[in-house]
Amino acid sequence: MIRLHNVAKVYDGGVVAVQEVSMDVRKGEFVFLVGPSGSGKSTLIRMCLREEKVTRGKIWVAGKDITKLPTWRVPYLRRTVGTVFQDFKLLPNKTVAENVAFALKVTGCPRSIVRRQVNTVLELVGLSAKTDRYPRQLSGGEQQRVSIARAFVNRPPILLADEPTGNLDPATSVGIMRLLDRINRTGTTVMMATHDFAIVDAMRRRVVQLDRGRVVRDQGESGYESSDES
Amino acid sequence: MSTLLFLIGEAFVNLRRNALVATGAVLAVFVSLALAFGALVFNELVRVNTLQWQEGDHLIIFLKDEGGPVAHSELLEQINDYPEVKNAWYMDKAGAYQEFLEIYSDQPALAATVTAADLPASIRVELDDISTYQEVQFRLVGHPLLRRLSVFSEGIERLLSLTGVLNSIGIGLVVLMGASAVVLIANTIRMAIYARREEIAIMKLVGAGNWFIRVPFIIEGATVGLLGGGLAAAAVFASHNLLERIPTDILIRFQVDPGFLLSRTILILAFGGLAGFIGSSLGLRRFLRV
Ligand SMILES: Nc1ncnc2c1ncn2[C@@H]1O[C@H](COP(=O)(O)OP(=O)(O)O)[C@@H](O)[C@H]1O
Ligand SMILES: [Mg+2]
Repeated sequence: MIRLHNVAKVYDGGVVAVQEVSMDVRKGEFVFLVGPSGSGKSTLIRMCLREEKVTRGKIWVAGKDITKLPTWRVPYLRRTVGTVFQDFKLLPNKTVAENVAFALKVTGCPRSIVRRQVNTVLELVGLSAKTDRYPRQLSGGEQQRVSIARAFVNRPPILLADEPTGNLDPATSVGIMRLLDRINRTGTTVMMATHDFAIVDAMRRRVVQLDRGRVVRDQGESGYESSDES
Repeated sequence: MSTLLFLIGEAFVNLRRNALVATGAVLAVFVSLALAFGALVFNELVRVNTLQWQEGDHLIIFLKDEGGPVAHSELLEQINDYPEVKNAWYMDKAGAYQEFLEIYSDQPALAATVTAADLPASIRVELDDISTYQEVQFRLVGHPLLRRLSVFSEGIERLLSLTGVLNSIGIGLVVLMGASAVVLIANTIRMAIYARREEIAIMKLVGAGNWFIRVPFIIEGATVGLLGGGLAAAAVFASHNLLERIPTDILIRFQVDPGFLLSRTILILAFGGLAGFIGSSLGLRRFLRV
């Protein structure tokens, strides 16, 4: 579903954020990207969304080489990849329902279908009672649920999450992880960057560890720290 | 279709959020276009008021119908004998109608309401010295055939010589004011984009295409232009209404044909909308990167 081949990113000014990264995420997998702050996790996710261009190498998302994608095709890429961020990125002047609906509106989806899909997905994330609230009237955990609902509303095959629990307390984080796990069980491929070892240890999923832009570990059903110590 | 409605809705929500800046832009566009529209109407008034005065005519003596052409030609002979008069000639009703049609050739609505019978015949007089017109006026006072006497005054003379200048000033004003309306709207839209840059980034992240983001801004700009143009048209209509109250029977007429006003209003509205469209497209030009 997501394939990186020898990917490197050098920012303007010469910062090498990612180098020689190759990995392959299969359909339906749940992958944690771990590593200390500054190790290149966010850069990697942004390159998969074409928010940043690769300096070297190739990235395939859902079978397409997105390093060669013309600019006007980028919105289509982003419709096949749901995204969740640490800071929620909700539109402040839209209600919960409008925020979720927006992801469908951009595809030109007819209104009746939008309403139905939005209701279904808000039920899934447990926010049916708060559809008309504005983001500022919600707790952090609720805002993150809205953003997950928006990422999932058009059933993308892939979901990318960058520290989705970074702003939340542990109890709320558990709820968010349950939700991501449920979404993953519907067949959605999930790649999540985090440095929250409690979560990674609890989930026992594939872990790709980055350090200074390089992959230093890639291990199935693992914890935050390497588990094959002898 | 529902997408377009959604985007129009977005545009109006944004306009409301941005009401202060948008109002400023509407007012500025209004002033620009009102000046431009006013210049158009003023030019038209000058044209209507001066067309009657052909090369060399100093006096127009409008005649009553009584007596018909026979009595009229007697009077013409008398006038030709006045010492101040260099040359006088007769324009019958048919000629007057021809002239009328020429003057109002672009205002068929007005022309259609008038027939040759409605228009008076007249005697056009060229004087040796225009300052002697009062002598002629004096001689004719109380003449049974005299309906009205128009004098080619210095004011008209000056207006006439100014027409060319006025025309180019008018056109210059229209162009300048139009350009400033475009620039104003471009600036407004750029400010709106700046104010909403974070929202735009989020929209792009969830897969909004360029047009999806741009169309509301373009609708916003066009609305500002249309509102400004509408206000300008209303202002010109209002002042024209005031002018119209001034009686016609003095030297200068203050009416222009309703058809003229209507067609120019549509022009101003279209221009306002177009200025908004061009302005917002200019304002959007630099912002395209994903
Ligand atoms: N836009 C940018 N311009 C320049 N350097 C950047 C930019 N974004 C990130 N970096 C640098 O790239 C490196 C990796 O950053 P990032 O991908 O954000 O790591 P992480 O998400 O793992 O904390 C860091 O050294 C960071 O300072
Ligand atoms: Mg990061």
